[in-house]
This record gives sequence, structure tokens and C-alpha cells, in this order.
Amino acid sequence: MNVITHRTLFLSIGALVVALSIGIIAIFGLKVGIDFTGGSLTEVSYEVAPDKAAVEALVLELGLDGSSVRESLDEAGSDAFLIRTRDLSESERVNLSDAVISLGSGGEISRFTSIGPVIGQELRDKAVWAIGAVLLVIILYVAYAFAGIGTPVRSWTYGGITIMVLIHDILVPTAVMALLGLWLGAEIDVLFVMALLAVLGYSVNDTIVIFDRVREQLVANRTEHRVEREEAGIVMADVTYTLDKPYAELVAAAVSQSLARSINTSVTTMVSLIALYFIGGDVTQTFALVLLAGVIAGTYSSICIASPLVVAYAKWRGVDVDSVQTTKVI
Amino acid sequence: MTESNEPKPSTQSFLRIFRAVIVLLVMGWIAWVVYTPVIDPNTTHPFKLGLDLAGGSHLVYEADVSKIDPAEVPELMNVLRDVIERRVNIFGVSEPIVQVESSSFVTDEQIERLVVELPGVTDVGQAVAEIGRTPLLEFKLYDAELDAAQQATLSSLESLGESASGTVDIGNVLVNGEAVTDEPPFTDTGLTGRYLESASLEFAGGQGGQLSNEPLVSVRFTREGGDLFEAITRANVNNQLGIFLDGELLSAPNINEPIAGGTAVISGGFTPDEARELAQNLSFGALPVPIELQSTQTIGASLGEEVLQKGVRAGMIGFGLVILFMMLWYRLPGAIAGVALISYITVMLALFQYIPVTLTAAGLAGFILSLGMAVDANVLVFERMKEEYRAGSGSREAARVGFARAWSAIRDGNITSLLSAIILFWFGTSLVKGFALVFGLGVIVSMLSALLVTRTFLLTLPDVEKKSGTLLSKLFGNGLKW
Repeated sequence: MNVITHRTLFLSIGALVVALSIGIIAIFGLKVGIDFTGGSLTEVSYEVAPDKAAVEALVLELGLDGSSVRESLDEAGSDAFLIRTRDLSESERVNLSDAVISLGSGGEISRFTSIGPVIGQELRDKAVWAIGAVLLVIILYVAYAFAGIGTPVRSWTYGGITIMVLIHDILVPTAVMALLGLWLGAEIDVLFVMALLAVLGYSVNDTIVIFDRVREQLVANRTEHRVEREEAGIVMADVTYTLDKPYAELVAAAVSQSLARSINTSVTTMVSLIALYFIGGDVTQTFALVLLAGVIAGTYSSICIASPLVVAYAKWRGVDVDSVQTTKVI
Repeated sequence: MTESNEPKPSTQSFLRIFRAVIVLLVMGWIAWVVYTPVIDPNTTHPFKLGLDLAGGSHLVYEADVSKIDPAEVPELMNVLRDVIERRVNIFGVSEPIVQVESSSFVTDEQIERLVVELPGVTDVGQAVAEIGRTPLLEFKLYDAELDAAQQATLSSLESLGESASGTVDIGNVLVNGEAVTDEPPFTDTGLTGRYLESASLEFAGGQGGQLSNEPLVSVRFTREGGDLFEAITRANVNNQLGIFLDGELLSAPNINEPIAGGTAVISGGFTPDEARELAQNLSFGALPVPIELQSTQTIGASLGEEVLQKGVRAGMIGFGLVILFMMLWYRLPGAIAGVALISYITVMLALFQYIPVTLTAAGLAGFILSLGMAVDANVLVFERMKEEYRAGSGSREAARVGFARAWSAIRDGNITSLLSAIILFWFGTSLVKGFALVFGLGVIVSMLSALLVTRTFLLTLPDVEKKSGTLLSKLFGNGLKW
């Protein structure tokens, strides 16, 4: 099935997925963890665990309102509770620890994290800045790589579309995270940000490889027309290119040639992630799941969105994508 | 007759095998380098495990540098780090980490933090208490002018309170935006615990009006501190020099004459035990700036070990699955990609040991992810090679063309990934920095593993053509159908 001739279908699916992801994120929201908001997280594990209600009552009794208690299993598989509270002082921490340990038998604090609100704020600022800078550099590099080869659309378009595809690839795992938050209480933490950064790297790499093939097709199937003229004693050359085949056909060829590579790389990446999900530690399970969603989204988008979008955009800009074109180097 | 510069075919094939053997030897050597620290407990280059894998406590302090000249901040933070490091060494844990972390330029306010990592210490309360024992020692001058102004404000407030027929709690009154106190005012001299060299317990000899046998703490300044102390006392004879411990005024002796020699005596009505403890605490160093605990984190040791074991197992199974898939789909070249993947893993592990990179649960997960992505360059090459091979080229020629054609895609993909890694490393907090470092190294090493290892071995394999139809020629094919 040719993704370029059926581009309306594939782009519609992509748009639907984006709309659905935004809807899920908007309706269910994301649970932001203490890495970003500041606060304390206490994990207490037991041999024989008390009722969740008992733990909740105890936390309220200590005057820690706005806290939440979640059932979980610690790494060794014992019953545990995750108690999220505001940033605790040292004496509050000791009070809470002593109180919850005595609730059940064999109680032990297996994990305690406390983060001041300032660190959370700074983390958020830095993440936003870093991602913004990365996007800018990607647009610039892709535009540079396509500059001067003579395509029917500006070289900036490829960089711009790489970023649009990236937004799709980031939205899907974020929506998955929103659902995990809804069902399992998973919270956005530094690990989630890293998963998104990895998706970012994967998505851009995947799209660029296909665009590289498009570039190669354009260069291999163009005829150069050079018109020299003299202006104030300097010889100037106006270079135009004619594509020997329709633009849509060239892009379609590039996609079908990169298909096996895109799928195989996503398969090897997914088997690693599946191993991580099923065998790796509990702390990285959400990370693996989010990344898996990102890799699937990234593979779909690089094949079924990026190139069709380039052709659709060219057509919208008035380029006759289905017949032989004369294009000027910009 | 012209002589060809091309070496004879027999020489060429010898060179190919020679190169392959060299690559194998280098790989074997790196693998040995990586393996020895695992079996040798006294190694100088062990794997560094993060607290979430090793278990332990992670404390973050914020230093109050608001009163410090920004140019002096880096040096003061270094002094602070050394002081806390000496303090932390009391725990006797192996490899405590104490490091300064400055907020980057994207935040408005300059915040200086001290990060303390104590592997194996799971009682965070004990750690906090021990570090909290580090004293803050300051020498301040009595300011008579300010005191007079303050007394005037106080007396006027008192009369105000009387005329209003009630009482005014001066703690609640602000004059010009500042709280009114009845404590005598002192101004900073810049002489603090950072200039401290040593401290010892002494007993007063009974002369000079002091109580007989009163326990005292004698402090010796560094040369720089001694000079500063002399200059301060010379300029302020007959003034009072207040000695503050943790912000509390201990004593305010009168400066009778300039004091040279760089020693000072702290008295404050200590009991012998109090004085001994203070001298001991001061001898570990005093804080150059006040610090405040901002965040703590503890991970149980058994939890960390569990995460590590599961992570390693997941990595091995992930590695096996990737190689299995590559061999099923790309057959002989796929097996060579497996060899390249092994070289990727050994080189990365060696880098982890020697840079060194602290391995965390997140880092381990990222590394497992990278196993799947590292074969990408191989896949790109094999796909190009397949086209040539099907078109009738010999396998060796197909490989050569495959590398040449795949290069621009490998280059563009890897350059954008590397640029992303550099930006993340530049902007990120320590956790993101670690991720960016491993990600960036992985990009470079995986590209080199494809270009060096895969290429060398592919070119060493015998040259066959697809149309020969032999088993070997089928081994260069791909897909599930043979």
C-alpha cells in the first residue's frame, strides 16, 4: 500500500491520534510527582500490611492534610504503601516513620524522598529550556542538510515537519502516561522526562533517515539547467532543476525503500524495551511502557505522517506533485 | 607496460584477515579490561553505582550566599565542600560524594547547593544530625552608632506604647521595613570559620581577670585569616569583637590592643564538656556560609541490589533478543551485527568504568534501550547492501557500496542526536546530564562499532554472488523465506 497516494487516510489517522491524545491529557490530566512540585514520598513495606484506611487515618491524625496514600509492592515483592505528603521537616519525618512502621508487623521504611519546592521549579525551567533549544537546533540542521538541492518546497519545510512529527510522537506517550496515572497512579517524574527525551532522539533520527532518502531521490532524478549571464563584469549563474519524475512518486519511492529499515530498527528497540518491562526492576516499568508507546508512535509517524505531510504541504503550496516539475534552488 | 599499484589478490586477502584479527584482539583486550574490576575487589576502576542501585542517603543543602560577594562564591563553596567532606568521612562509608551544584543561568536567582551522597547510610536522620554538628563561626564588630540609633527607636517605641495605654510587643514592630530588636547590633567583618586552621581546648591560667581554670577554646587562623584578624583588631582598638557560634553571640571581648600571631580565644562560660565538644567540632572545620537542608532521599540497600540484578538480567535478555532477530532476518551479516553489538557493549562498559559514569536505575534502563537502537547503523547498511546484492553485485562489493550509500543517513541521524545530547548536557540538572552523557557516548560508540567492526568483518567474509545459489550466497540474503 502506497502511503503517499493514500496520504489522506494516513494523515487523518495521525490527526485523530493527536486529537485523542490531547483529549486524554486534557480530560484526565497528568499527575505531577514530587520531582517537580516539591514534597515528600515515603515508602513503607510490611510483612503483614495494615489496611490502607488505617494508614490514611494515621496520616491525617499527624496533621498532614493533602497527603495521598497508594498501595504498592516494594522491589522484593512485599506489600507496601507509598505516602506522598508535603515537604516534611526532620521531626515530621521521624514522627511519620515511627507511626507507620508500628501500624503493621515487620514494617520498614524502604524509600524516602524529600524535595524542596525550589528544586522542583528549577527542574521544570531547565527541562523547558533544554527541549526548546533541541527543537531549534534540529530545525536548523535539517534545513541546512536540505539547502541547495532543489526541492519543490523550501528546505525549512523538512525541519518544520520533523518537529510536527515529533510533537505527535511526544503526545502519544504523554497520553499513555495520563492513562497510567488514572489507572495505576503513576506520576510524572524525572524518569518520565528522560523517556520523552529518548523518544525525541528516536523520532528525529527515524524521520531524518527517511528524509535523507527523499533527498537522495531528488538528487538522483534531477536535471540541472544552468543559465549564465554577465552582470557588471561578474558571471552569474541561475541554476534551475527539473525533476525527471513527479515529486509524489519520488517521495513514495524513498518511503518504500526505507520501510524495512524503519520497521527492523523499531523491532530491535521494542524487544529491548519488552525485556526491560518484563524483567527489569519495578522502578523502570513505567519508563519502558512510555518508551514503547513512543517508539510505536515514532515508527508510524516517520513512515505514515512525515513524508505524506511533505507531499500534502507541497500540493497546498500550489506545487503540482503528480507531474514533472521545474524547481528553483532557493 | 604499466605496473599496477593494486596489491596482489593474495596480499589483499591477507590484509583483510589481518585487520579482522586486530579488531578481534582489541575487542578481547577491552573486554578483559572491563571484566577484571568485576573479579578484583581492589580495583582502581570499579563500576560506580548510583545511590538508587547501591542504597544510601542523598542530601541536598542550599547555601545562603546572599551576603557574599559573587566573585568569592565559588571559592567559598569549595571551602564548604571540604568542610562537609571531612565531616562526612566520620561515617566511614566508602566513597561518599560531596559536590557543589550551582543553578544554571536559566534561573533568575543564583542558588548554590551542596549535594551529599552517602552510599550505605540508610539512617538519614543520623546523617542529617552529624552534618548539622558542623559549627558556623563568625567574628563581628560591635557597632556603637547603630546601637545608639536602635536604643533611640526602642525608647520612642516604649513611650509610644505607654501613651497608647497598652503594651507594644517590639517583636512585631517594623521600622523602615526591618524588625526592631533590643540585641546589640554587630556588623560582619568577613572573618569567619573559613579561615580556621585548627582548634583546641585550653584552660585559663587565672590571670588577666579571668576565672581560674575556665575552659576555653583556642582557635588558630590560617595565614590569611591571621592577617585579617590583625587588621581588624588594629583598626578597632577599644571596640568589642563579638564571637558568634551558629548565629548566637557567645562572647564580646573588648579589643585592648592589635592581636598578631593568628590565634584567638573563645570563652563563653563553657562547661569543660561543652568546650571539648566545640573544639572537636571546630577542628573538623567550620561552615564558611550558613546552609539549610533542602531535600533528602533514602533508598534501602536490598532494594537497590534487587533493581540492579533485574536490570542486568533484562539487559542480557534484551541483548539476546536483538541478536536473535538480527540473525533471523539478516543471517550472516546479522550475526556480524551481533559481534558489533558486543563491541558496543564492552566499549560502553569500559567508558562507564574509566570516565567514570555513575550507573543509576534510569541509566541502566537507558542503556538497555540503546541496545536496540545501536544496531540501527547496521540495519541501514544491510538494507543498502541488500539492494546491491539483489542487483547482482558480489557480496563484498555490495557491502562496500552499502556503507558508502548509508553514510549520509547515518551521519545526519547521529549528528542531530549528538547535538541534542550536547544541549541536554549543557542545560540539564545532574540526572539529565547523566542521561545526556550516556546517550551521546552511545551514539558515537554505536556508529564506530558499525563503521569499524561490522565493516571489517563483512569485508573479510568470502566474496559470493547471489546467482551462484550456494548456501553461502543464501546466508547473505535476508528475510524469513530462504
